[in-house]
Parts: sequence; structure tokens; C-alpha cells
Amino acid sequence: MKEVLIEVKDLSVQYTSEGKEIKAVNNISFQVNKGETLGIVGETGAGKTTTALAIMRLIQTPPGKIRNGSVQFDGKDLLQEKESVLRKVRGNKISMIFQDPMTSLNPVYTVGDQIAEVIWLHEKVSKTEARKKAGSILELVGIPAERGSEYPHEFSGGMKQRVGIAIALACNPQLLIADEPTTALDVTIQAQVLRLMTNLKEKLNTSMILITHDLGVVSEVCDKVAIMYAGEIVEYGTLEEIFRNPSHPYTQGLFNSIPNMNKKVRRLTPIVGLMPDPTEIPSGCSFHPRCPKAMKECKSMKPGNIQLNGEHKVSCHLFDETVVRGRVETNEPSTP
Amino acid sequence: MSQALLEVNNLVKHFTTGTQTVKAVDGISLSINQSETLGLVGESGCGKSTTGRLTLRLIESTSGEINFEGQNINDFNKRNMKKMRKEMQMIFQDPYASLDPRQTIGETIMRPLMVHQIGKKKDRYNQVLELMEKVGLDPRWVNRFPHELDGGRRQRVGIARALAVNPKYIVCDEPVSALDVSIQAQVLNLMQDIQEEFNLTYLFISHDLSVVKHVSDRIAVMYLGKIVELAEAEELFHNTQHPYTKALLSAVPVPTLEEKPHKIVLEGDVPSPKNPPSGCRFHTRCPFAEARCKVEEPELREVGSEHFVACHLV
Ligand SMILES: Nc1ncnc2c1ncn2[C@@H]1O[C@H](COP(=O)(O)OP(=O)(O)OP(=O)(O)O)[C@@H](O)[C@H]1O
Ligand SMILES: Nc1ncnc2c1ncn2[C@@H]1O[C@H](COP(=O)(O)OP(=O)(O)O)[C@@H](O)[C@H]1O
Ligand code: SF4
Ligand SMILES: [Mg+2]
Ligand SMILES: [Mg+2]
Repeated sequence: MKEVLIEVKDLSVQYTSEGKEIKAVNNISFQVNKGETLGIVGETGAGKTTTALAIMRLIQTPPGKIRNGSVQFDGKDLLQEKESVLRKVRGNKISMIFQDPMTSLNPVYTVGDQIAEVIWLHEKVSKTEARKKAGSILELVGIPAERGSEYPHEFSGGMKQRVGIAIALACNPQLLIADEPTTALDVTIQAQVLRLMTNLKEKLNTSMILITHDLGVVSEVCDKVAIMYAGEIVEYGTLEEIFRNPSHPYTQGLFNSIPNMNKKVRRLTPIVGLMPDPTEIPSGCSFHPRCPKAMKECKSMKPGNIQLNGEHKVSCHLFDETVVRGRVETNEPSTP
Repeated sequence: MSQALLEVNNLVKHFTTGTQTVKAVDGISLSINQSETLGLVGESGCGKSTTGRLTLRLIESTSGEINFEGQNINDFNKRNMKKMRKEMQMIFQDPYASLDPRQTIGETIMRPLMVHQIGKKKDRYNQVLELMEKVGLDPRWVNRFPHELDGGRRQRVGIARALAVNPKYIVCDEPVSALDVSIQAQVLNLMQDIQEEFNLTYLFISHDLSVVKHVSDRIAVMYLGKIVELAEAEELFHNTQHPYTKALLSAVPVPTLEEKPHKIVLEGDVPSPKNPPSGCRFHTRCPFAEARCKVEEPELREVGSEHFVACHLV
């Protein structure tokens, strides 16, 4: 049995905007085991970033508020602890990388000084010691140590993102949360960054939550996958389970929407419609207005989390025998 | 063999800022056939958008020839160019930045009809509604403003605006890069439909190789202002010749559990186009570079039927 590193339970986050409630994350639960990478996949507005920020308790209040839930880590519920405790966890035991590499770097300090400062703050070492370590960390991400004396603007996007990773890993965190770390990068640079993340993860046995909208990236680095739609996890499973047997109609729709380099199709099969307005999430199954397989029940009843084989879980009425059987029965009288 | 609608020869664009010169496009030649989609791929800053704009004369070239339907449009005066503009349109990556926030959707699509005096005044409103329907926009949105629309709908407005003048050639500069995958597929299908219906010719610019392969008949790969390989789409993917193209294709994460080809991870970053490397511009990152690659610039040569490569080793 794998050891659980972090367990998120029934997490709900809301924002208030122009007097309206935005239900960004609704009752989601998942866990990450030691040394494993969980991929959180979803489209814009699905609630991925909000989930990441909530785990670190970095949701800005107002407009945001964590409504419910717990985040068990290291024997503590991070949602209940004092801010001083969280400050010690952030950047130390859990660190984060953002999509825009610029946001994690301060333009007025040299790259080397910024890494050294993180080390100096979190490990009780001298400043000279911290500087030396900063140099070796830069080398670890493939940047010559002497370039530590340069400023962020002198670095390319890929280098900045690697520095972000260097800073995030400077204190040997147990968990790394990476929010779309390669979305802004070119593919050849993305390949460099992904290789770096996988190598470091293996060497240091770091666990990772990788947030992305790219199923290709997921297939290369993740062990487990959670598919998010309108603030909910609609399907969860191992990489094998999700890729061999995508079960939720939304997951299937995602796979059919992307052109695949290895397969030639004349036309793509998009998901119809648009993401729902987060202030008016549809009743029942929130995917029902766009779902090609929706049944009468989908409009009124929220599907539960249904366990399939292994670790595979899906939240859809098609897999609920009572609904499917009930449907056959209600349909019968009308057939002549 | 179908006929070339657009042909550029030895096209060059150097931007000079202060004392520095950026060699954004540095001598490229290509042709696009009637009703064809030519894909243009390459990493950020390699000169794709500049190439697209040059073919429309939205920016002036430093040197080179641009032939559209057999006429060198580089020689055209303002008046003739304005007439030509009707035949050549553009769809942009960021549908928000390319729409005027103060104009309604209807006004935005109406504008090119007025500028080019297409149709009678009283019919134009109906033309706008027809165009909206064509691109899958509910005509009820006609009086809305761009900020009220999501990215996918905004991109449909951009497409309707380009279609309004009934062009022959459209430069599509990363038209789906800013969209979510489910919306991306909707827009790609729409672009395919209107291409068939109106017999359009596309220059399709993208950094997403899966998308480019899906839409293109032929594909040109750019690196630092040069074309390094050009071939029919399937040929380019299955009989890849240039080391850069090989690395680029292998770097794409394909969403499958099947065995993947070995990744060629290139070291370092793309060098600056202000000071491109000598000889073959790719030699600083090429795993196969030889001594002559540093000094001698390889020419784009035909190595197979309609397959062009610029590499000393091929
Ligand atoms: N108006 C300009 N003045 C100066 N330099 C420019 C100008 N426009 C483009 N460049 C430079 O020319 C080079 C090519 O730019 P271009 O926009 O064509 O690249 P691209 O391939 O479209 O990149 P991306 O994928 O990032 O859109 C870049 O180095 C860019 O900085
Ligand atoms: N600061 C904020 N104020 C108001 N609404 C927000 C804020 N941040 C996010 N949201 C909303 O919450 C929902 C989820 O957003 P987010 O977590 O950023 O999604 P993702 O990262 O999956 O794109 C969206 O509807 C978004 O508009
Ligand atoms: S619950 Fe119903 S609407 Fe929702 S995904 Fe399943 S079949 Fe479709
Ligand atoms: Mg996000
Ligand atoms: Mg561009």
C-alpha cells in the first residue's frame, strides 16, 4: 500500500463577483501518494488554479472564500491551522510553480540572489553557504552557475521557468504543485522542462500535482489523473484507466476534440456548446446540456461518485445501475 | 498539379531598431496552390507572423517578390493594393485584441463591406446577419460588444469579418491557439467548412503541430527566419528529413499510452535573430552538426518529389 502524502476532502471554494456567487470548486476530494504525480486536467474556468491555491490557503479573501473541506498534510488540516504554521509549510514542504514564469521572479534582484534568499529563509545556513547552494541548484536545472548574477529579463521564457522550478525545489519540498508550467513555452523547451521535472522528481522522490489542459503532457508525466469540469472532479483514475477506458462523456469528448498526430481523421468531433456560466451551473449533472448521452434523470439528479474497476471512479448516471435500470422500466410502458 | 495562387520569392524582412537589426524573415520562397492549406510551423520568434503579414503587404518587405495570381503586388500602388486587399484577409490569434471594443459585432462585420463598397447600403445589414449565421453566431448577438462574448465566439466574429469581402486567400495566424480544446475543435471544423464552401486558400500559422497536421495539405517548417523543410503533410511526418523537424516532432507530447518514438531533446534556446549563427542557423543545437555546418549555409533543395530540405547531411 502506498503512503498518502496529502488528502483533500470535500473542498468547496466560492468567489463573489458583482454580487453573484461563483461556485469555482464544488466538493472535490482526492489524494496524492508519496512519489506520485497527479494530473488535474480541465478547460479554462474548470477550477484548477482555485484548487491549487486553496490547498496552499492562498485564496484571496475577498473575493474568494473556502466554504468547506479539509486538506490533511503531515498530520495537520491545513485549512484549520494558523497563518504562521502555513507560512512554514509554503515554499518549504509544499511549493508551487505558476504558468507565467515572470510572476515567480522579482525583476529587481538577480536570479542567483533570489534562489539564495529562499534557501537562506528556509534552511538555517549562512548567506555565503546559501549563495553556493543557489549556484549548484542552477546547474541542476541546466543553467551555468555564473548566470546567477543576471537579472530575470536577461533570461528566455524557458530559462525563467527552469529558475522557477529551481526555486520551487530549493528546499526539497515533499509536494510540488505546478500550475500549467509549460503552457507558455515552445514544444522543444517544454520537452526540456518536463524532462527536468521528471528527473528531479525521481531523484528526490517529490510528489507532484500537475495542472494542465494538455492530455499529451499528462500521458508523459502523470501516474494518476483527475478530470475537472465546472468545479467538480468528474472522473479519476490511474493513467492507464483514464487513457484505455475514458468513461465520462466529458472525458471522451476531450479525447475526441484534440487532433492526434498519429491518427488521421477528416473532421474533429467537438463537444457541443460552451462551458457553463459559473454563476449558473446547470442542475443535476452539470455536463447535461452538452452531453450526447444525457438521460431524463441527468437534468434533475446529481450523479454520485461511482467506483469502477481498480481506482477508477466516475461521476455519471450511465454507470449507476439503479438509474439505468429504472430508466428501462420507465421507458417500457411507452413502447407499444 | 493545381496552380499557385500565391508565390513568394526570396522574401526578406529586416527590422531595424536603433543600431540593431532583427533578421525576422531572411530569404524564403514558397508557393500556395489554389484551394490548398499550407501550414507554417516553428517556435516563437522564428518569423511566422512576419511571413504571413508580408504576403498581405500589411508590412513592407525589405526585398523579394510577392506574386498573387501572377502579379507582383510589391509593385502595386495604393489604389490597386486596396482593390487587392479584398482578395486577401487575415484571422488573428487573439480575437479580443483584434476587435475594436467600441464596435458591436454587427458593426465589426459591416465595416469591410462599407470600406470595399460591397452590396447596396440597404442590403448590408442582411448580409451581416447571413455571415453571422454562416459562422455559427446567433444573429441575436448582432448588437453585442466583443467583451460580452467568449473566446470561441469572438473568433467566429473574426472569421465572419474576413469572409465578408469574399476573399480568395486568408492568412490564419494561430487562429485557435487561445481557445480551449473543445472550442478549438468547433472553430477548426468551421474553418474547414467555409474553405470547402468558398474555395478558400489558407496560410495556416501555428506552433501546434497536431493542429497543423490536421488542417494542412503541405507544411513548411521555419527556424530563425528560414524555411528548413517543406513537404506534403503526411510525407513531412512520416519521412522527416531535417534534424530540426525531427526534434520538433519528437518533442510533441502525444496523448496516447502507445510506445512513443525516442525524444530528441534539444539543448539550449533558440538563438537571437539579431545575431543568427553562421552557416546553418541550426548548427548550435543540432545533434549531427559537422564542421562545414558552421561555415556553409545549406540551400533548400528538392530531395524527393515535392519534398524540400535545407541540410548538408540530407
Ligand atoms: N515590428 C517589429 N519590430 C522589431 N522586431 C520585430 C517586429 N515584429 C517582429 N519582430 C521580430 O521578428 C522576429 C520574428 O517575429 P514573428 O512575430 O514573425 O515571430 P513568430 O514566428 O510569429 O513568433 P510567435 O510564435 O511568438 O508568434 C522576432 O524576433 C520578433 O521579435
Ligand atoms: N479572483 C477571482 N474573482 C472572481 N472569480 C474568480 C476569481 N478567480 C477565479 N474565479 C472564477 O472561478 C472559476 C474557476 O477559476 P480557476 O480556478 O482560475 O479555473 P482554471 O484554473 O481551471 O482555469 C472561474 O469561473 C473563474 O472565473
Ligand atoms: S450524468 Fe447524464 S448528463 Fe451527466 S455525463 Fe452522465 S449521461 Fe451525461
Ligand atoms: Mg488556471
Ligand atoms: Mg506570431
